[in-house]
Amino acid sequence: MKIEIKNLKKKFDENYVLKDISMTIEKNKSTIILGQSGCGKSVLVKTIYKLFRHDSGSILYDGKSDVEIDKFSMLFQYGALFDSLKICENIAFTDFINNKTNFDTKVLSLMKDVGLDKSNFNRYPSEISGGMKKRAALARALYKNPKVIFLDEPTTGLDPINSDKINELILKVITKRKITALSITHDIKSAIKTGDNYYFIDGGVIQDKGYCKNILKTKNKIFKSFINGAKY
Amino acid sequence: MQFIENIGKILIKLFSNFGKFILFIMFFFKYLFKPKFYFKNNLFYFFNIFISSIPIIALTGIFSGMVLALQSYTGFSRFSAESAIPNIVVLTLTRELGPVLTGLMISARVGSSIAAEIATMRVTEQIDALKTLNTNYYNYLVTPRVLSLTLALPIFVTLVDFIGVMGGYLVSVHRLGFNDNLYLLNTIDFLSLADYLSGIFKAIAFGFIISIVSCYCGLFSDKGAFGVGSATTNAVVISSVLILSSNYFLTELFF
Repeated sequence: MKIEIKNLKKKFDENYVLKDISMTIEKNKSTIILGQSGCGKSVLVKTIYKLFRHDSGSILYDGKSDVEIDKFSMLFQYGALFDSLKICENIAFTDFINNKTNFDTKVLSLMKDVGLDKSNFNRYPSEISGGMKKRAALARALYKNPKVIFLDEPTTGLDPINSDKINELILKVITKRKITALSITHDIKSAIKTGDNYYFIDGGVIQDKGYCKNILKTKNKIFKSFINGAKY
Repeated sequence: MQFIENIGKILIKLFSNFGKFILFIMFFFKYLFKPKFYFKNNLFYFFNIFISSIPIIALTGIFSGMVLALQSYTGFSRFSAESAIPNIVVLTLTRELGPVLTGLMISARVGSSIAAEIATMRVTEQIDALKTLNTNYYNYLVTPRVLSLTLALPIFVTLVDFIGVMGGYLVSVHRLGFNDNLYLLNTIDFLSLADYLSGIFKAIAFGFIISIVSCYCGLFSDKGAFGVGSATTNAVVISSVLILSSNYFLTELFF
């Protein structure tokens, strides 16, 4: 699915978080949104997902303004697994709450795909590590075979080794399943590794865009300072 | 000037929150009759609330009845009306103390836990996750809790009434020297169905108030640990104030 965003604006109370965002998320490509904490990346993604309403501008999904969010999935920053449910029930959440019982095979296959050992099947989220929670959350996001997956800082809170593993896993999954991906990150290494295109947001507007492989060659001063971790 | 501006801001926030709360109740009723009804979830919350609250309910009942018998004796013995103690104990418990004390105890025990649980879900983005999984949080989170507590409170009040009367009986018979058969006969003779039902009606109203306020405070909490703390405190304070104030109007209704 191709998503086109034109002149998007979103405010909370009187403060505009997104001032004028125009971007294109190409079908079956991995698009990365980069920016400092608090620059509006998560708000942008949640607005595209239709979790928030925008104040002006347009979002077109394959040329249409209406879309069923059934086709979307999201991996949240800290997994957002439901504490009171087992891992298998979390992964097959929609089937589980509708009293369907024949989800075991699909869950086990997804757990294998995301590298989660089957011994975790009946465990609760509080009994597994941060990396495993991310894998379980990714499995839950893939359970409904989405056309578009939104990834909100997928490597936050993980050590460098686990971050690399999760990045490789995401890349493998979106390539294999031909899913359009939109990721938020402030980790340049992750962006280069997992993305095709990038957009850099600052102050509620897009300051720079291009191919992820060319991130380090950017000429935009603000983005350069961001990459170097310097003040601008 | 700044002072007036601040008062204005507070008033606007107050009215806006009140409007949001009314809308929340309207949405609750809208989704109550929508087809998605998670029966397992409803049953789970009902038993969870029921089992976790029984000890606190039993203690509330027994001590209220015991204190009521002792205090009534202090007053009535001054004009030789001790025989009215069984009547006073059962009437006060069924019409007033049973529903109000149970409501306040349940608001502290269950209301706070509902608000904290939902606020934590909000802070950790589990509410957003529900939306992304095509699950309506009114159906999945609010309805089971509101229905469970609204149905459980009349049962709790019945228990408090019964245990309270037994507490009064224990003190009256073993401490104040009443005849045990006479005490029970007086209690049964004096109690009318209307007294009991007025307490039950109050219980239904209080159960709804506690659960809807707690769900609202949890769902619209601020972010972070402070947000969860405030949601919990607000849930208990607002439900308690609403219980006490609505109690007057409900009493007028059954007067």
